[in-house]
Amino acid sequence: MNFCNFFYLFFWLGLASFAAAQDEAPLDFARHVQPILAMKCARCHGPSSTSGGIAFDTRDRAFAETESGRPAIVVGDPEASSMIERIVSHDESTRMPPEGKPLTAAEVEIVKTWIRQGANWSKHWAYRPLVKPPIPPVNQKAWVANEVDQFILAGLEESQLTPNPIADKRTLVRRAYYNLTGLPPTAAQVTDFENDSSADAWEKLVDRLLESPQYGEHWGRKWLDVVRYAETNSFERDNPKPHVWRYRDYVIRSFNDDKPYDRFLTEQLAGDEAPSPTSDQLIATGFYRLGVWDDEPADRVLAMYEGYDDLITTIGQGMLGLTFNCARCHDHKIDPIPQTDYYQLLTFLRNIRPMSGGGPNVEANLFASEQSKREYEAAVRDRQEQMDVVKKEIARLEEIFTTVTTNEPNKEEQKKGGRNYLTQQIKKRGLEVLGEDEFAKYEAASKMLGELQKEPPVDKALVVKELGIEKPADVFVLKRGTPGNHGALVEPGFPHLFAVPAPTVQPVAEQNSSGRRTALANWITSQDNLLTARVFVNRVWQGHFGRGIVRSSNNFGGLGTPPTHPELLDWLASDFMANGWKIKRLHKMLMLSSAYRMSSNGQEAAIAKDPANDRFWRVDLRRLSAEEIRDSLLAVNGRLNLELYGPSIYPTIAAEVMAGQSEPGRGWGKSSPTEQARRSVYIHVKRSLITPLLASFDFPETDTSCEARFSTTQPGQSFAMLNGQFANEQAAEFAKRITNQVGPTNRDAQIQLAYQLCLNRAVRESELTRAKEFLSEMEQKHQLSPERALEQCCLLILNLNEFVYLD
Amino acid sequence: MTELPRKTFCGRTRREFLWESGAGFTSLGLTGMLSNSGFFDSNVRADEPTFVNPLAPKEPHHPAKAKSVIFLFMYGGPSHMDTFDYKPELYKLDGQTIAVKTKGRGGSKDKGRVVGPKWNFKQYGQSGQWVSELFPHLSNHVDDIAFIKSMTADSPIHGSAMLMMNSGKLLSGSPCLGSWANYGLGSVNENLPGFVVMLDPKGGPISGAKNWSSGYMPASYAGTIMKSQGPPLIDLKFPDGTSPEMRRLLLDKLRESNEEHHATRKDMHDLAARISSYELAFKMQTSAPEAVDLSQETQATLDMYGIGKQRTDDFGRRCLITRRLVERGVRFIQLYSGGAHNDDNWDAHGDLKKNHEYHAGNTDLPIAGLMQDLKERGLLDSTLIIWGGEFGRQPTAEYAEGTGRDHNSYGFTMWMAGGGIRGGQSVGTTDELGGAAVENPFHVKNLHATVLWQMGMDPNRLSYFYSGLEQKLVGVEPIEPIRQII
Repeated sequence: MNFCNFFYLFFWLGLASFAAAQDEAPLDFARHVQPILAMKCARCHGPSSTSGGIAFDTRDRAFAETESGRPAIVVGDPEASSMIERIVSHDESTRMPPEGKPLTAAEVEIVKTWIRQGANWSKHWAYRPLVKPPIPPVNQKAWVANEVDQFILAGLEESQLTPNPIADKRTLVRRAYYNLTGLPPTAAQVTDFENDSSADAWEKLVDRLLESPQYGEHWGRKWLDVVRYAETNSFERDNPKPHVWRYRDYVIRSFNDDKPYDRFLTEQLAGDEAPSPTSDQLIATGFYRLGVWDDEPADRVLAMYEGYDDLITTIGQGMLGLTFNCARCHDHKIDPIPQTDYYQLLTFLRNIRPMSGGGPNVEANLFASEQSKREYEAAVRDRQEQMDVVKKEIARLEEIFTTVTTNEPNKEEQKKGGRNYLTQQIKKRGLEVLGEDEFAKYEAASKMLGELQKEPPVDKALVVKELGIEKPADVFVLKRGTPGNHGALVEPGFPHLFAVPAPTVQPVAEQNSSGRRTALANWITSQDNLLTARVFVNRVWQGHFGRGIVRSSNNFGGLGTPPTHPELLDWLASDFMANGWKIKRLHKMLMLSSAYRMSSNGQEAAIAKDPANDRFWRVDLRRLSAEEIRDSLLAVNGRLNLELYGPSIYPTIAAEVMAGQSEPGRGWGKSSPTEQARRSVYIHVKRSLITPLLASFDFPETDTSCEARFSTTQPGQSFAMLNGQFANEQAAEFAKRITNQVGPTNRDAQIQLAYQLCLNRAVRESELTRAKEFLSEMEQKHQLSPERALEQCCLLILNLNEFVYLD
Repeated sequence: MTELPRKTFCGRTRREFLWESGAGFTSLGLTGMLSNSGFFDSNVRADEPTFVNPLAPKEPHHPAKAKSVIFLFMYGGPSHMDTFDYKPELYKLDGQTIAVKTKGRGGSKDKGRVVGPKWNFKQYGQSGQWVSELFPHLSNHVDDIAFIKSMTADSPIHGSAMLMMNSGKLLSGSPCLGSWANYGLGSVNENLPGFVVMLDPKGGPISGAKNWSSGYMPASYAGTIMKSQGPPLIDLKFPDGTSPEMRRLLLDKLRESNEEHHATRKDMHDLAARISSYELAFKMQTSAPEAVDLSQETQATLDMYGIGKQRTDDFGRRCLITRRLVERGVRFIQLYSGGAHNDDNWDAHGDLKKNHEYHAGNTDLPIAGLMQDLKERGLLDSTLIIWGGEFGRQPTAEYAEGTGRDHNSYGFTMWMAGGGIRGGQSVGTTDELGGAAVENPFHVKNLHATVLWQMGMDPNRLSYFYSGLEQKLVGVEPIEPIRQII
């Protein structure tokens, strides 16, 4: 049987009946109709093209008379609407769309129903002003813990769904630990919570976890996904970016300090333009240096624009949820983003000094205080003065040397060879020409100069710097995105769909900077910005509930997925801004809701009605992330090293993996076992050599912003978890820990403890029996020592689904 | 955007995919279950497992000529005028400095000292294709080969040029040709990876794993490194002291526990998928070594590939394994000739003669053997072979002395055979020095389009929704396959 056809049959039946059922209830334009128009029509009938005089991007244009004279849409009458005629046509030469898949029967049904119901039209949801919506009324008031629940429950009641009951305490405590810190709780932490019967036990737990430094490590990593964080440049050499780990630490610290999100963004976008920027403000601008960078591009100008594009893509999708990158070569096909918007955004970045492998254009010195800065500067001045003296002395001695040797035949060579030649000559013949005393002086002075030329030790960060405060180079629209193919000149201004005036840009003399990025940051973090808060609260929601209210968290535009709970999203965004963009407050609100605390159990009726859990009738089971899996393996055997911050670490990578490099081992350091036992967030992120265990569990692609990680299941994961050196070492360590705690002989106690450590629960009778059978068979049939048998048992437990999947 | 293929998985956007798979799709294959937190994790029905297997076989857009692709990657950039692009004028100019525009590692130049081709050419086959002395064995197969002598690429620098040849983009982060093939068609053998890469013993190419990355697609579509000696896949071997029986015992107990856990979560199909993936991995521990086990091959076959001879043993083994993988339905196999840096690959900056004699000598017989073997087994018709590097080389010397040539992306030769390619012909030409393509220039994108087309996919329709765009291997603008050779 052809799977695809089978597939379509189901799909067709499902949606057709859905559409029929919607006859009474009016269709939601944004949710049901607009996605179809965007996907199927807008390429030719959209903001950038109005073929036949019709476009489906605004109401006026959609309802306009077409060039053929017949309106595409006749309100209330699908049969009379030429649009319907064209999309259902059996004649391939007239059917719309002219290329590709026609509309499915279900899609046609939706469009028809929508026209029949009056073809109501609304602006794309994400471009509507952000207004705090009223909280909807609900019936089952007892379920409501806070406002979040009102919105969720209203949706459930409307769909006649029942929310799942609150999960048991053991599930909740594991959920909270993993969700906020990415680590499992210890047995004691579980017991503490289970035994705390006070009404605010849950709230206290959430508060405590939000204060733990592991919170920043876990949630900081989510931000690192968004900004395509990696520590090397990619391409041929894939060299390390100097000091970039400080940016990673900055992000972790920011989350731990509960830095307001608007400030967090401002620091990354324009921290350096702040008056007397702090170390953190400078480090934050490393944001601009995180992308791929070709140190030997085939076309330098093109490479420069690729760099801008990388930034516009990341800022656009990461902070604003829009794909401005689609307007690089032409007007956006779907969203109202003309090409000029793209190049206006580029003006804000035009003055940035190009990336380099290191040096003063991309590095800044960091000082803990004004005092230490002054001391450093004094030291540099001192050195300079000393250097002047030493250089004079060297010059004097060189003078003597050249005077003596001036009539020698190799004069030409001497001229050509310059200073290096002279230095060599003096080294060779100085003693003979200058005499013992003077030569000794020369040697001492040379040595001293070498010492003085070394910079005094100072911490550095990878930062953004600009070319100066003069007006930055002109920016033109590039026709077809081709450098040199100039269109109109553009000035700094914001995408016109936001309808805000162009900024007044103030150059920042102190930093020798244009001030344009400050203007950009001010607009992005403004309370009036339509999208910044919506996009971020959606990411936080995704981090708690497994998927965003808008599933396509990097794309809130026409091709994104419409929000399942638009009012909730707007309410959260408004509330977030009104309360100082505080992230921990948002976490707490979401986690204290009943919606968050539901169990993951399946309810037959709900599964039938809402299989995708669109309405949030349960909490979805989730697989742990790559980092959570690796960190958990270390945590359960008691070896996890919780040291915070600092330069990256290098876990051992098998030689056979290294063999894939053009110089095996290049760019990969060696860390001590203790260092290697640190959390995964500190592992060096080398673009061309992602740590295999992390890669196999869907570590994100490093070169572009990642909105949501994949969660694949593949045999390579089983190989890594059963045969891989790391997993086997951890299993052995785990066995050792168990033996240390309960001794080498008591199998019951060993298995009890293993389950407690791994799964935070008591072993069940059936599991105990199974484990003991396993152990004895390993010992008797396979002749394993009791220790080795226990290691195998530990390996088994570490591979349990229950260890890797969280309810 | 609307150029979506009909009734196939591959043209669907992620969102459509989610939407549709929610309607209940039971796949039997299980090479890699895909779910995306936020996208796929809840595609469920109450009663039956709903596996979404990204590598399940899929219908092509049109009937496929090629079921499998073998990409013989001559890493470093072989010299076209010393291999297949006969330039009689160039011999006469040897040593003379002439005006010629070149761009390579050493930058852009307007003149240079000509290096005459170091090997003689002869015409071979009924079709009379020109081949240099470097390939005494391959020259017997020219009637099956279509030479594309007017290839162009966008970069004369290894790093970006490698990315271009493998992923169609100068920047890293995009899926490779092999990923697209598996994304579009799936794999017919669930016991082996669908996209296999076999490296040169000297090392990987520049940028390493970026050259077989699945970019913005899930890791299920990334290339898997396979080795010709020892355990073929990474972490495939049981750890020391673990016997298959011990592992079987562990897997049985693991499955029992996992099934117990799953029993109360029947609708959560990721759990079932993971249970099955352990079984699949166990099967692969037999099937993967079997695929690379050459002990069942006859001596005649081994000889055909040059196995057992010092120079050709390694590449011959990899070629023979490649045939075995093709027989087992592996979709895309990439073999690297040359690795690491400088003369360890075809990057002949210093001594052209030494370099090319070495690399051609290592590969000529094995490639000829592979073609002959595939043909004798009736597999050549359904197997597309691609030969070439990331660019070609310049007609002039790079340095003041020596025969080394710098990189050249303005014009170079690649060839294809089998898989519906019309052999015994050459298309396109470079100028009389071999400096740049002049007649019928073809871009790397045309080559990629040809490969997809022969596999049954329309390169201008095969798309993956990412970053707000229907991304395509060949980019936004429609790209034609090289019609002359198909």
